[in-house]
Amino acid sequence: MADKKISKKDIARLLEQWGQQFAVFAPSKDSGVAAMAEWDGQDTSFLDWYRNTIVPPKASFLPPMEEMFHFQKGEEGYNIKTPPKDERNRLLFGVRPCDARAIAILDMTFKDAYEDPYYLSKRKDAVLVGLGCTNPCESCFCTSMGVSPAESADVDLMLIDIGDEFLIEEVTDKGKELIAKTKGLKEATKEDEAKATQSKKTAYDRVTRKLDTEGIKDKLLASFDDEEFWEKTAAKCISCGICTLLCPTCYCFDINDEMVKQEGTRFRSWDSCGFPNYTKMPMENPRQEKWRRVRQKVCHKYEFYPMTFDVIACTGCGRCIRLCPVNWDITRVIESVPDKTEARK
Amino acid sequence: MTVSATKFFAQGNVYVPHIAVIEKIVEETPGVRTYHFNFKDEKLRKEFTFESGQFGQYSVLGTGEATFCISSSPTRPDHLEFAVQKVGKVTNALNRLGVGAEIGFRGPYGNSFPLESLKGKNLVFVGGGIGLAPLRSLIWNVIDNRGIYNKVDIVYGARTPTDLCFKYDLEVWGKDKTVNMVTTVDRGDDSWKGKVGVVPKILEEVAPPAKDTVAIVCGPPIMIRFTFPVLEKLGFKPEQMLTTLEKRMKCGIGKCGRCNIGNIYVCRDGPVFSYAQIKDFVSSEY
Repeated sequence: MADKKISKKDIARLLEQWGQQFAVFAPSKDSGVAAMAEWDGQDTSFLDWYRNTIVPPKASFLPPMEEMFHFQKGEEGYNIKTPPKDERNRLLFGVRPCDARAIAILDMTFKDAYEDPYYLSKRKDAVLVGLGCTNPCESCFCTSMGVSPAESADVDLMLIDIGDEFLIEEVTDKGKELIAKTKGLKEATKEDEAKATQSKKTAYDRVTRKLDTEGIKDKLLASFDDEEFWEKTAAKCISCGICTLLCPTCYCFDINDEMVKQEGTRFRSWDSCGFPNYTKMPMENPRQEKWRRVRQKVCHKYEFYPMTFDVIACTGCGRCIRLCPVNWDITRVIESVPDKTEARK
Repeated sequence: MTVSATKFFAQGNVYVPHIAVIEKIVEETPGVRTYHFNFKDEKLRKEFTFESGQFGQYSVLGTGEATFCISSSPTRPDHLEFAVQKVGKVTNALNRLGVGAEIGFRGPYGNSFPLESLKGKNLVFVGGGIGLAPLRSLIWNVIDNRGIYNKVDIVYGARTPTDLCFKYDLEVWGKDKTVNMVTTVDRGDDSWKGKVGVVPKILEEVAPPAKDTVAIVCGPPIMIRFTFPVLEKLGFKPEQMLTTLEKRMKCGIGKCGRCNIGNIYVCRDGPVFSYAQIKDFVSSEY
């Protein structure tokens, strides 16, 4: 079946329609920081300013802070209650291909060995609607990480900019079913499809930053004990955690309790391997030194995650480069890892 | 050593603790206590099983959660035990609780000592301080199934005689003719009749031959670091050395990120490891 298309000025009506069935999330600057936020029912001005969000869409499934359960101490002892499941499933509109891939990478961790009920209850029935990039940032390097800025197999529906309209690609069965129920879409013509192909190519060519990751897993393994390299790599880092907190594939979290009188909450919140307290135990801390934490961050993404899940936990979204206050640059780090793999053999 | 996923979920949610009641508190040393506990839910009390080496996430609700191994043996299932040193937020909160108080428990998590592959082997247990807690679960397990294993040696040490944990067990094992028990302290006192010297040094003097022997080593990181080279010198291969690692944990199930050494999560892939599994990373991250 041919693809559908929709006029850009009809996006509000489309989201309104989907909003009857889903909790629709779309790019928003209402909080002062670009993030996926529950759509207000009117505003589609993000179509003009949106390149990517600062807060990655992982926040829709792994919120910065989240209640795990509530507890109460009564005469019969403790009583624990988990929060009820959201009534409506989520639909994320405007997910970039790099971030969609990141969500697929997060799924691996949250499904592995034990299922994470908080993440998966939100994620399982969610619909991801991708939006192809037309204007990637200088810091983007998605094409080096197996991602194309205007193509994605990790979303349910993919929208491609073809001028005044978006072409809609049905990627999954879930996406197909949603389109079958959606009113007001037009049939795309051969000409539209040709425009979409061109749009994808243009976006791809606009990603100019390149990174060679060939053999990086083995190189990092061989350089694990190269303290001098890691000290140099970590030198300017200020351990602020931004590159991890706002990384779309980072998932580390902390768990804490709060209690007032006889009632309390256990909640989890984003955490970062960049913080010295992250691994601190009462008697010792295996990553007290900054270079050990920076090494952990780099190796986790480019060495350990590939060892476990056979995929690099970086999609080239470029946030850690754009948002770093001291211009630390992951692409330069990866390129400067010494090749000691021969010596090791 | 495979992960045996827990099937004991409270409310179908892996993060929700079961409520348990403290039944007895034993003062081991100044600052170290053993807590005996049982689940409040009678059905769970009957059905709950675990293996030596596995750990739990223990809650003092309102303060938080901390990770401790189960220090009792599955061969003695009428209650569960864990031992803690009062050093952090949760252990201090535990210290304020008395018999009858409620705690939370999630687990059992992690892998366990590979009992199958220990059958017919000589075993040498090497422990330091509160590191006897995970060993103790296995030692009682072995003693309760004594015929399955060959010779058993225990080398256990602490800084001073007062710091020796589980003195009541040490006494029983010392009298057990099927067990060769050596106790040592870094600094003795007037009444001390055992060995004096750090565990790795004493181990070098008294260790059994490496042939057909498995060493199980638990203790503070510094003791572990010095014990492996001694065992290697004595002819033990990395595959013949087992240990349990300890890291800061939050989730206990391989999600929260912090307990890794290389690509290994101590909570998900451990806490029991052979030296062969961890030696690449252990010099630099442990």
